[in-house]
Amino acid sequence: MIQMLITGLICGILLGFVMQRGRFCLTGGFRDMYIAKDNRMFYALLIAIAVQSVGVFALIQFGVFEFSAGAFPWLAVIVGSFIFGIGIVLAGGCATGTWYRAGEGLLGSWIALFGYMAMSAIMKSGPLMPVNTSIQSVQLGSNSISETTGIPTWIFIVVLVTIVAAIVIRELKKPKVFIPQMKPKRTGLSHLLFEKRWHPFFTATLVGIIAILAWPLSVATGRIGGLGITTPSANILQFLVTGDQTLINWGVFLVLGIFLGSFIAAKASREFRFRMPDAKTGITSFIGGNVMGFGASLAGGCSIGNGLVMTAMMTWQGWVALLFMILGTWTASYFVFVRPRIKKTVASATTVTTA
Amino acid sequence: MKKTLEVMGQVCPFPLIEAKKEIEDIGSGDELVINFDCTQATESIPRWAAEEGHTITNYEQLSDAAWTITVQKNSLV
Repeated sequence: MIQMLITGLICGILLGFVMQRGRFCLTGGFRDMYIAKDNRMFYALLIAIAVQSVGVFALIQFGVFEFSAGAFPWLAVIVGSFIFGIGIVLAGGCATGTWYRAGEGLLGSWIALFGYMAMSAIMKSGPLMPVNTSIQSVQLGSNSISETTGIPTWIFIVVLVTIVAAIVIRELKKPKVFIPQMKPKRTGLSHLLFEKRWHPFFTATLVGIIAILAWPLSVATGRIGGLGITTPSANILQFLVTGDQTLINWGVFLVLGIFLGSFIAAKASREFRFRMPDAKTGITSFIGGNVMGFGASLAGGCSIGNGLVMTAMMTWQGWVALLFMILGTWTASYFVFVRPRIKKTVASATTVTTA
Repeated sequence: MKKTLEVMGQVCPFPLIEAKKEIEDIGSGDELVINFDCTQATESIPRWAAEEGHTITNYEQLSDAAWTITVQKNSLV
């Protein structure tokens, strides 16, 4: 219990800290691929996946632990990830993003987080469990891309690392636009930790390293897995209403750590303040949190569980989930950001003609 | 001329979306003051301004999680 508490919290604090300071937001990243034609955050995610993949498969090779991918619940992954993608746009952040924004004092994220935890618990042990399990029972052979194709996993890792290296080199060679910054008020370590802008690729590398670290730490407490957000978030609520201590695992301390790490980072860099959303944003956040919880529970993971961890483990579930999560994000972005703008332009164009 | 956009309390990406809308309505050389409290916008607003070729004449933190940035519309548009 003590070990779980300490290693889980430490891993979570590191992750929350790095994500808050590095502005690591996958919702924004997926959304901007479409509305701003900006792929930087997506490339950053690929870096984190590649770093983790190399590290975790090295640990497996050295026999630190064993990993079995199981079967591929394709229908649940496709439908769930798409719905999750819609939910994260409404909630204004993915599952992890919501945890770390909650740590920045955004009360809208607290609302989203509550909806997310509640719906995840309803899906995993509540009245919607039969729906969840029946859709998840539609499965295809193996979840491991290597087992299905007969090609060794390390070949996929080499391909991924090569692609990521090519992207990084190309991106870093691009002419840089000078981006004005605030005058630094601090020096040394304090400046680097609590003031300086972090390059998304640097942040992503740290996220990848933390994701590697999560595996042996979690396995040591008996939970075979890496970073995961949805099940632990549901577990917190399930524990609070049942008192069942078996629900407390490494993941629970991990997500609490994310909240704490982000709070420490935000507080120390003067970015923490309780911020109350207006009623409309509050309602959208609540709906978004619920939609996100429904989707992530069905898909068996969120943008971290599936998008960062299961992709690194070279499973169908991870890569298919990533694709449909992005498509869901784009669909919601069209209705929330793009269509209102087109409508406005059309409306003003009409006014001009009549005038 | 100076115009102020109050987007305190708005979550990302709305401060940036509002700023993009507002800058269309001001003349080149005019300034748009944006007051915001969304942490992510400390990154996205200056980046957008720089990439569009606008000039940032002022950028500072007002208090805990509150910032102001002044964007001068580029004179080519």
